[in-house]
Amino acid sequence: MIGEISHLLSLSAVLLLSLVLIFNLFFSFNQSHSNQLILSMRLFNQACWLVFISFGIYIYLAISDDFSIAYIANHSNSQLPIFYKVTSIWSAHEGSMFLWIVFLIAWSFLFINALDKNHPLKKPTLLMLSLIILGFLLFLLITSNPFERILPFGAIEGADINPVLQDPALAIHPPMLYLGYVGFVISFSFITAYLFHGDFKLDWEQDIKNWSLVAWIFLTIGIALGSWWAYYELGWGGYWFWDPVENVALMPWLAATAFMHSLFASSKSDVLKTWTMFLGILIFALSLFGAFIVRSGIIDSVHSFANDPERGLYLLSFSGSITLLALSVFAYRLPSLKSSKLVVSGSKESFLSMNNILMITSIFSIFLGVTYPLIIESINGDKVSIGPPYYNTIFAPLILIAAVFIMISVDALWQRSMSLRSLFITMAIPTFLSFVSIYLIWAFASVFSLLAYIGIFSGLLIIFSYINRIINNFFNKKYINKGSAVAHLGLGLLFFAVSMNSIFSYEKNLNLAPGQSISVNESVQEFYFKDIRVFSASNHDVISAEVSLLHDGKEISLNPQKRKYATRGQITSESAIHASFLKDTYLTIGDQLENSSWTFSLKINYFIKWIWFSAALMVLGIFLTIFKKKAS
Amino acid sequence: MLQARKNRLWKLIIILSLSAGGILLILFSLNSKLDLFYTPSEMLEANIKSGYRIKLGGMVRNGSIKREGTVITFEVTDFKKDVPVTFDGVTPDLFKEDSGVVILGYFINGMFEAEEIFAKHDENYMPPELSIEEGKQ
Repeated sequence: MIGEISHLLSLSAVLLLSLVLIFNLFFSFNQSHSNQLILSMRLFNQACWLVFISFGIYIYLAISDDFSIAYIANHSNSQLPIFYKVTSIWSAHEGSMFLWIVFLIAWSFLFINALDKNHPLKKPTLLMLSLIILGFLLFLLITSNPFERILPFGAIEGADINPVLQDPALAIHPPMLYLGYVGFVISFSFITAYLFHGDFKLDWEQDIKNWSLVAWIFLTIGIALGSWWAYYELGWGGYWFWDPVENVALMPWLAATAFMHSLFASSKSDVLKTWTMFLGILIFALSLFGAFIVRSGIIDSVHSFANDPERGLYLLSFSGSITLLALSVFAYRLPSLKSSKLVVSGSKESFLSMNNILMITSIFSIFLGVTYPLIIESINGDKVSIGPPYYNTIFAPLILIAAVFIMISVDALWQRSMSLRSLFITMAIPTFLSFVSIYLIWAFASVFSLLAYIGIFSGLLIIFSYINRIINNFFNKKYINKGSAVAHLGLGLLFFAVSMNSIFSYEKNLNLAPGQSISVNESVQEFYFKDIRVFSASNHDVISAEVSLLHDGKEISLNPQKRKYATRGQITSESAIHASFLKDTYLTIGDQLENSSWTFSLKINYFIKWIWFSAALMVLGIFLTIFKKKAS
Repeated sequence: MLQARKNRLWKLIIILSLSAGGILLILFSLNSKLDLFYTPSEMLEANIKSGYRIKLGGMVRNGSIKREGTVITFEVTDFKKDVPVTFDGVTPDLFKEDSGVVILGYFINGMFEAEEIFAKHDENYMPPELSIEEGKQ
C-alpha cells in the first residue's frame, strides 16, 4: 500500500510537470504575464516536493524491508545494517536512476527558486528544466520502474546487496558522482534559456558560476572516491583502468574544467563568451552520453548494468533530442551573439584558451576511444577493446603542452601581452629545476619509460612554477590567486604521483604455508606468514591471514582477509594496506592449494595516496575560489 | 568580417584540424595496440600469431582449475571448444568454475598465457555471445 502511494506521488509529479509545459507552450508566450509564471512555479515546486516525498517513502520501504517490491527484494536483505539498506537503493539500475532524478530535481528546485522572480530568464529556464525532468521521470516509470511489485506474494527475504558494494566509500561514491553529473543541468538549461530568450545584453555568467563550481566539486569527489574504492576494495591494487564507464565520467569532468576556466576568462576580460556557452551545453550533453553508455549496457564494461535495448533507445533518443535542441538554438543564435573582445596574444586568457583547446582535444580522444570499438564492430564485426596504452600515449603529449601553458600563464596578465623577457624569466627557474629533478629520479630509478617521464616532468613544471610564485608572493608581495594556486598545485601533484607510481610500483606473487617465512627482496627482507584464522562475523564468514613483514627495517603486521557472504555465497577479498609517506604495502590473500599452503599477492604502490591527496587539493582550490568570489 | 576575426577563425581552423589529424594518426598507429575479443572457437579458428595480445572470453570449465604454487591453470570454454589457460598470480574473487571470465593475454603453442584476468562486478555476468548461445540451446 505504502509502495503504491510512493508510486502515485511520482506519477502525479509527471502530471504536474506536463501541466507546466502545456500551460506555457500552448497558451501564451506573453512575457509580462506574471501570474502565469507564478502558477508555473507553484506547479513545478509541488512536482518537486512530490518526488522528494516519494523518494523519502522509498527509503522508508527499504529500511522496513518491504520485499514485495521487486527492486528492494532483489537488492536488500533484512540482515543488513540500516545504512546499507538505504544505500542498496542505488546499488543497481532502477534505484540509482531514481536517485539520479531526485538529485536532478533538487538542483533544479534550488536554482530556480534562488533566481530572482523578475529575472527575464526565469520562465524559459523553468520550462527547460521541467522538460528535462519530465523526460527522465518518464524514462524511470516506463522502462525501469523501481516500484514494481512481486505479485501476488512478495519475497520473504531479500537477495542481498552485492558484498563488494557494502562499503562506506561506495555508498557515498554514486551520490557524489550523480550530484556532479546532474549539477550541470543548471548551466545547460540557463544557457539554453538565454539563447531562446534572445536578449544578449543580459549577463549570465555570474548567475551560474558558483553553481557550476559546486557541481564540479561534487564530480571531482565522486570520481576520486570511486577510484579510491576500486583501489582498496577490488584487490587488484589499481586506481584507474580506462574503463569505458570511467571514461564517460572523465569527459564531463574535462568539459567542466574547461568551462570553469573560460568562465573566469569571460568574466575577467569579456572574451570567449560564445565558447563558454558551448562548453556549458557540452558538459551536460556528455553527462547524458555517460548515462546512456552505462545504462544501455551497449559497451562491455565492469560497471555497466544489464544490457537493455529499450532503455538504451529511450535514453539515446531523449538525450539526443534535448542536446540537439540546445545546439540548434545555439547555432541559430550564433550570428547575432554579442561579439566578445578578441583575445590578446600572450595574455593570460590566450594561454587559457590554448589549454581549453587541449581539454577539448582530450575529450575528443576519449570519445574516440570509447566509441571506436562500437564503430569497428558495426563495420566488420570484430570485437576490440582499447586499453591504457592508447590513453597513455595520447595523454602524455597533451599533458606536457598543457603544463607548459600553465607555467607561462602563472605570470601572464589578463588582457595584456607578455614580453619575451618576462616569458623567459617565468620559464627559466621551473624548467631548470624540473630537468634537474628528472635527472635525479632517472639516476635513482634506472628504469626508463618515456611516457612516465613526460608525466613527471609536466607535473614538476606546474609545481615549481607555483612554488616560485608563492615565494615571490611571500618576499616581493606579488599578487597570488590562492584558489588557482592550490588547485594547480593539486594538478601538478596528480601528474607527478600518477607517473611516479607507474615507474616505481611492483608486484610479487608468493606461495607460503602457515608458519613459513621467506625473503622477498632487499626491501621486503622478511615475509612471515604466522597463521590463518577462520571466524564468523554478522553476515559473513572470514578467513584472516596474519602476516608480518620486515619492510625497509620496519616491522609491519598485515591481515588480509577473504569473506564469504551468507546470502549470496559470494566471496570477496579484503586487502590489507599499510600506508607510509611514500608508499603503500598492499597485500591480498589468494587461494589455498592442496598442500595447505596459500597464495599471496604483495604489491608495493608508490605515491598512490598522493593521487587522492592531489584531488583533495583541487577541490580545496575551487572551494577557496567560491569563497573569494562571495567575499568580493 | 573584420580582418582580425578572419585571422582568428583561420587560426582556430588550423589548430582544430591539426589536432584532429594528430588524433587520427595516433589512432591508426594504435590499431596494433587494440585488443581483439574472441571466444574459444573463434580464437582457434582465427590462427592467432603468438606475439599478438588478445582478449579471450568464455566460461571457466567445471573441474578444470588446478593450482601449482602461484600458478593457476584452467580451461575456458564456449561449450564447443576449450582453451587451456595459465596465469601467475591471485585471481579475482568472482573467478570460479562455471562462471564467466575475460582474459587478456597471448596464445602461444596451444596455451593461453594470461596477463590479466577480469571478472565482473556482477556475479551473474556472462560474455554477451555466450548468453545468446546458451539461450539457443
